[in-house]
Amino acid sequence: MGPEASGSARLDGRERRRVNKRTQLGMAMFLIAEAVFFFLLILACAYFHALPRLYSPSGWILTALLLAGSVSLWRKWRWGAMALDAVFLVGLAGTPFAMLTAVLGLFVLAGVIALALVPASGRSALSLYWYFFTAVWLVIFGVAGQV
Amino acid sequence: MNSWLCAIDHKRVGILYMLSALLFFVAGGMEAMVMRAQLAAPRLQLITPETYNQMFTMHGTTMIFLVAMPILTGFGVYLAPLMIGANEMALPRLGALSFWLQFFGGLLLYFSFATGDAPDAGWFSYAPLSEKPFSPGPGLDYWALALLMIAGGSIGSAINLIVTIATERAPGMTMRLVPLFVWMTLVASLMIVFALPALGASAVMLLSDRLLHARFFDPAQGGAPLLWQHYFWIFGHPEVYIVVLPAFGMISEVIPVFSRQPIFGYPFVATSTVAIAFLSYGVWVHHMFAVALGRNFLAVFAAASMLIAVPTGMKIFSWIATMWGGAIRFTTAMLFAVAFLWEFTVGGLSGVAFATVPLDWQLTDTYFVVAHIHYVLFGGTVFAVLAAVHYWFPKFSGRMMDEKLGRWSFWLIVLGFNTAAFVQHFLGLLGMPRRVYTYPDLPWLGALNLISTVGAAILVFGILLFCANVAMSLFFGAVAGDDPWNAWTLEWAASSPPALRNFAEIPEVRSRRPLWDRKHPEAPDWMAVRGGA
Repeated sequence: MGPEASGSARLDGRERRRVNKRTQLGMAMFLIAEAVFFFLLILACAYFHALPRLYSPSGWILTALLLAGSVSLWRKWRWGAMALDAVFLVGLAGTPFAMLTAVLGLFVLAGVIALALVPASGRSALSLYWYFFTAVWLVIFGVAGQV
Repeated sequence: MNSWLCAIDHKRVGILYMLSALLFFVAGGMEAMVMRAQLAAPRLQLITPETYNQMFTMHGTTMIFLVAMPILTGFGVYLAPLMIGANEMALPRLGALSFWLQFFGGLLLYFSFATGDAPDAGWFSYAPLSEKPFSPGPGLDYWALALLMIAGGSIGSAINLIVTIATERAPGMTMRLVPLFVWMTLVASLMIVFALPALGASAVMLLSDRLLHARFFDPAQGGAPLLWQHYFWIFGHPEVYIVVLPAFGMISEVIPVFSRQPIFGYPFVATSTVAIAFLSYGVWVHHMFAVALGRNFLAVFAAASMLIAVPTGMKIFSWIATMWGGAIRFTTAMLFAVAFLWEFTVGGLSGVAFATVPLDWQLTDTYFVVAHIHYVLFGGTVFAVLAAVHYWFPKFSGRMMDEKLGRWSFWLIVLGFNTAAFVQHFLGLLGMPRRVYTYPDLPWLGALNLISTVGAAILVFGILLFCANVAMSLFFGAVAGDDPWNAWTLEWAASSPPALRNFAEIPEVRSRRPLWDRKHPEAPDWMAVRGGA
């Protein structure tokens, strides 16, 4: 069995720190890849004026939901974060379709599922994921208002 | 069977990568032979133009994404933990997930044949050719979806390798003591993290155009085909180094052991790798010189493209200097490594030719490009992999490969490859465009193409002999022992094949040749370094 297989309850302090270090570094690398991916997508969408129309009441509400979800996770209210982000996804599905927000929505959906499944030892890394995608949403929201 | 399907042990996952690469290599090789048969004489019509387009698209996509990348990842996943004195990858389940993503991505790509409409727009699928009006069938959809899966898998395996190398090194193994293969695997993995997302973004936009009526690349609807070229080559040029750097690492392990000398200029080899990685992100436009871009723009990218030859040349000189004065043993592994130096240098020099804008304008989209890419990817990557297979096979299997068969396969492969690819330079200089399914009966074209086809057939015999050698040695090869080459890096301290837990106790490392230190306690490397300092 690999190191990932060990549950946090069975890990001593030193091993837990090692696992945390691994998962956080792995998540950081993943988020770098996602940053490049979204940078290029946002750039292309901005160039072609193909950004979603988010400056509307529903756009502000979606932004507030995602921010509240991140704050919940920061306060370690996992179920609260999941609920807020699930509502965000439902709200996003109700907005006019845009490729950029659809792709982001897929990552948020993956995050909600991961929140439900990932053991406690992986949650600090998962928090990075949430903060990152909240930030990506804020960038899209900001750029959509400018272009 | 189940233990292989559910394997998370890095050695099994590594072997799965290698087997999958071999499977797709057979498919890609067959596609190449169909093309060479079609081109053996002028005006042949063995296959239709449409089939020919599918053949070269699938051949290129297969060899880049389903052979070169997985085989190098397989070696990295198998060897990196052993070479750094670790018992396992840092994220073993991610490793397994990444492999299956890549493998099923490959199957999805090949499933397009079953639909009767394989992708046909070339391995870089330039827009607007890849747009719905020009490629209305589902082939390009399969291509883009498969590449998304493969990109995801590649990024996953790269992350796993980065985290493993960063966090799992044996006590005492600083980055200045890490084996060069591990160094280059680390740099290539970092490049994957930065480059593959560009491919992912391009594929998402292409799918949006094709399936959701977006307009990113379709000029008829205000899109920009050039955007595809920029995004694709932002990924595509680093990709060349992603599939070459680990090959450099293999050569950097093989040559010192069979020259009985430590690598010459380790710091230069390592730092030049980092330099190549940085520069490779600034040269993508040399794939687009034929596009009407500004003169200053061309000058900057031409200069950068020439500059990247400098750190690459440093490596070549370092390998030659390592051999210089050494007690060289010409095993089959060493023969392939030495042949690599020649083949890759030929490919590198024609690459410098393409960095020269007027030459590029003359030669772009001719067979000269085909010769160049094959000297880099076959003469470079595949020759290095063949050297690596002969070198590490005893570790993987516990048995030696047959040297006599190895030498026969070596000479057939060298003869076949150079016969097939070298004449393609002349075809390009004569003006024969690539990606045409037939050609007129002009002077020399028929003869040179026939020579190339004969060479490809010889190459196939060489590869078949190599495969037979692997299969026979697996069952009948002499027992290897743990360290048959009297080598110096840590993988040779483990049993052959290594146990599930690689090392009974984690070794302590004090120099770049930890096994030398263990075998020569009277004159360890670390003492020489300290004495020298």
